[in-house]
Amino acid sequence: MAIGVLFGDLVKAFFTKPATQNYPFTKTIAPERLRGKLVYDPEKCIGCMLCMKDCPSNAIELLTVDKINKRFVMRYHPDRCVFCAQCVQLCRFNCLNMSNSLWEMASTSKEAFEVYYGREEDIAFLLERAAQPGINEPPCE
Amino acid sequence: MTEAKKEKFIVPIGPQHPALKEPGNFEFTVDGEIVTDATVRLGFVHRGIEKACETRNYTQDMYLLERVCGICSHVHATAFVLGVEKLAGVQAPPRAEAIRVLAAELERIHSHLLWFGVAAHEAGFDTLFMYTWRDREVVMDILETLSGSRVHYSVNILGGVKIDIDQKLSDLIKKDMDFLEERTEHYMKVVTTDETFLGRTRGIGTLSRDRAKLLGAVGPTARASGVKRDVRVNAPYSGYKEFPVKMVIDQTGDLEARFVVRLKELYESYRLIREILEKIQPGEISTRIKRKIPEGEVISRVEAPRGELFYFIKSNGTEMPDRVKVRTPSLCNWGTITDVAVGHKLADMPMLLAGIDPCFSCNDRMVEIRSDSQPSQMMNWDGLRKYGIEYYK
Amino acid sequence: MNLSLHPLILLLVFPGGLFLMNIGLLYEWADRKLVARFQSRVGPRWFQPFADTVKLLAKEEIIPNGVHKFMFQALPIIALTGALTAALYIPMFGFEAAFSFEGDLIVALYMLSMMTLSIGLAGANTLSRFTIIGATRALTQMFSYEAPFLLALLGPAIAAGTWNIGKINTFTGENIWLILAQPIGFIIAVVGLMGKLELPPFDAPEAETEIVAGALTEYSGRGLALFHIGKNVELVIGLTLVVIFYLGGIANPIEFILKSAGLFLVVSALQSMFARLRIDQTVGLWWRLGALMGLLQLLAIIFGRYLGEILR
Repeated sequence: MAIGVLFGDLVKAFFTKPATQNYPFTKTIAPERLRGKLVYDPEKCIGCMLCMKDCPSNAIELLTVDKINKRFVMRYHPDRCVFCAQCVQLCRFNCLNMSNSLWEMASTSKEAFEVYYGREEDIAFLLERAAQPGINEPPCE
Repeated sequence: MTEAKKEKFIVPIGPQHPALKEPGNFEFTVDGEIVTDATVRLGFVHRGIEKACETRNYTQDMYLLERVCGICSHVHATAFVLGVEKLAGVQAPPRAEAIRVLAAELERIHSHLLWFGVAAHEAGFDTLFMYTWRDREVVMDILETLSGSRVHYSVNILGGVKIDIDQKLSDLIKKDMDFLEERTEHYMKVVTTDETFLGRTRGIGTLSRDRAKLLGAVGPTARASGVKRDVRVNAPYSGYKEFPVKMVIDQTGDLEARFVVRLKELYESYRLIREILEKIQPGEISTRIKRKIPEGEVISRVEAPRGELFYFIKSNGTEMPDRVKVRTPSLCNWGTITDVAVGHKLADMPMLLAGIDPCFSCNDRMVEIRSDSQPSQMMNWDGLRKYGIEYYK
Repeated sequence: MNLSLHPLILLLVFPGGLFLMNIGLLYEWADRKLVARFQSRVGPRWFQPFADTVKLLAKEEIIPNGVHKFMFQALPIIALTGALTAALYIPMFGFEAAFSFEGDLIVALYMLSMMTLSIGLAGANTLSRFTIIGATRALTQMFSYEAPFLLALLGPAIAAGTWNIGKINTFTGENIWLILAQPIGFIIAVVGLMGKLELPPFDAPEAETEIVAGALTEYSGRGLALFHIGKNVELVIGLTLVVIFYLGGIANPIEFILKSAGLFLVVSALQSMFARLRIDQTVGLWWRLGALMGLLQLLAIIFGRYLGEILR
């Protein structure tokens, strides 16, 4: 039977720094394996579409520009993504990776949540085609 | 005056209440401070996960089911994956199973520490709450370093695990386990000797062994009442065959016993994690598994931090399951609350609620109560829709 | 130190009214900050209580259905007035009390109890179940701590031979600190003060995990702000009283700040060290232990005085 067992802790806590982190001003470095934003390397992709097929939250859309020359554009939706890294696990050619530095993804605009990955001319080509009235985008599958 | 006497004084707690972090509705009929009747109403967070499973393939289901609960996410995925592997006739490599157990035990530590803080908060002991959650950060950091995420670790894949451990990580975990063990010993001292805290826990909500068995209590709630019920020991699965655990039992059955059982389980987890890190065999961490799972039915049971988690999976030979049924541990323990609450003070209610470590998001399960007077009815979608519109009119 | 100002200034600006309200908010900040530091947190910045109060004062006051409207609006004002009036009889901040007469200790103590009474009435006034339970608990708690607290404050009064707070102040300032002579009285006074202010572990009347905010659940906007200010003022007065009675009195502002800060540290450490007591435990503690010890202390003091007179 005792009263005030925590007294020692109180004294210790009073004379040490608070455990709280002053977040936006001090940031701890994210661990190496942190699953942050998805990064796509179009050079290695062969367009097996496995990542799209197994994505639990439909966050990945792989748009085909030229199937024969292996030119693909990835439309990635960070707002839908659940950061499970299943796509990274499935990709046999290591063209997908989850960044451990890009994890502060809050944004007030919707645009930030639609990311295009791919060669610049391909993205431009796709966007141009999407902007033209009457012609729909190529179907996702 | 007789009219007024008949009137019941009901104190509603929830669905929105500072004591509850998640929605649930409890109505306590009180006579002064003494509770004379208690009812529980659940299902405020029904999300239709079981149904959604039927429209996704097995890989996607795993991530969906991980999100049944935000605290015991890994065990849900493990239960599902073990079931699917059994159906497919695939055995995950030993190293993968050890890593699964490692993640499960780390998760148990984080869950028990979280519960400890919440229970202390319900007792009005905010300092203890702050300290436990501060120390819980250590295990959260380990989980983040190990798997890459603080909440949904996504360690499993069908046929193995995603992550591997190396010497550096192993040393880090061992160091942190030492720190946590020291802290747990300190907290053990607090819960078993601090007079004010004991005043809130000792002899409160005593659940006898027979009642616990009758009401079907599971997990630490049952073990605190002396019921030997632990899937890890009774029916070892995955890596627990290779790394056995000792069951922690207490006979008292009151709130103090639940505190003691959970804290002792923490010691057991620390020991097990050290053992795994020492003895883990090098090797593969995953095997290939076919996308199409052969036809069949399987039952998969694992021990979640809150008790026995039960999965039923029915496959029809395609990429998607035909039926997935989840029975979460929290659901089994609710009966003990209404049973025990009567006769206690209103001030003890939050402590009693916290005592079973309730996970409300686990409670969006459908329960059918069979009764002879009201036969169960089947409804098609349109009928259900009409019924819903009429009900909420 | 003597202070000769116009009575109106005494009442409205210093040491009454404005000054007391502001210092009350500052005390609230100190309390929250200290508890936060004990809990290994950062705690609020110094203007947080001020910002909260300004926000609350600016917000709409919702009057729920089924309450007595006049009572609902008048009770916060009565509570605050009671606390502010009590301050007039107490030598705040090292200055002499604004008003004083023989026996003002009793008046000040009863003025302080106005707060709890108002809270009890406010809780019973509304229909919500949480407020009714909160009110019952608040009043039960009042009946339990009031007697021992009074006994603890009577000890020094009897030792000084006067019931005038100002004179007790001079007496304690001249003699040894009464905390050494009457340690039991000091403990009861500090713990009683915590019960009076409904600080943890005696916060059963407003236990958020059980009954939301107790008697004040239905209050919003101005009413809530006034209750908060009243409570903070009571914190200032309570601490000052204990300092005057047990920590060697207050002769100047510096002494006031140092001594109340020291006492504050003890009070906030006590706040963060225990689990909340159930209302029956609180009552049991006070009547079984508190009142008995207080009586013993009082008997000892009376006996000591009697003995002293005989010896003389």
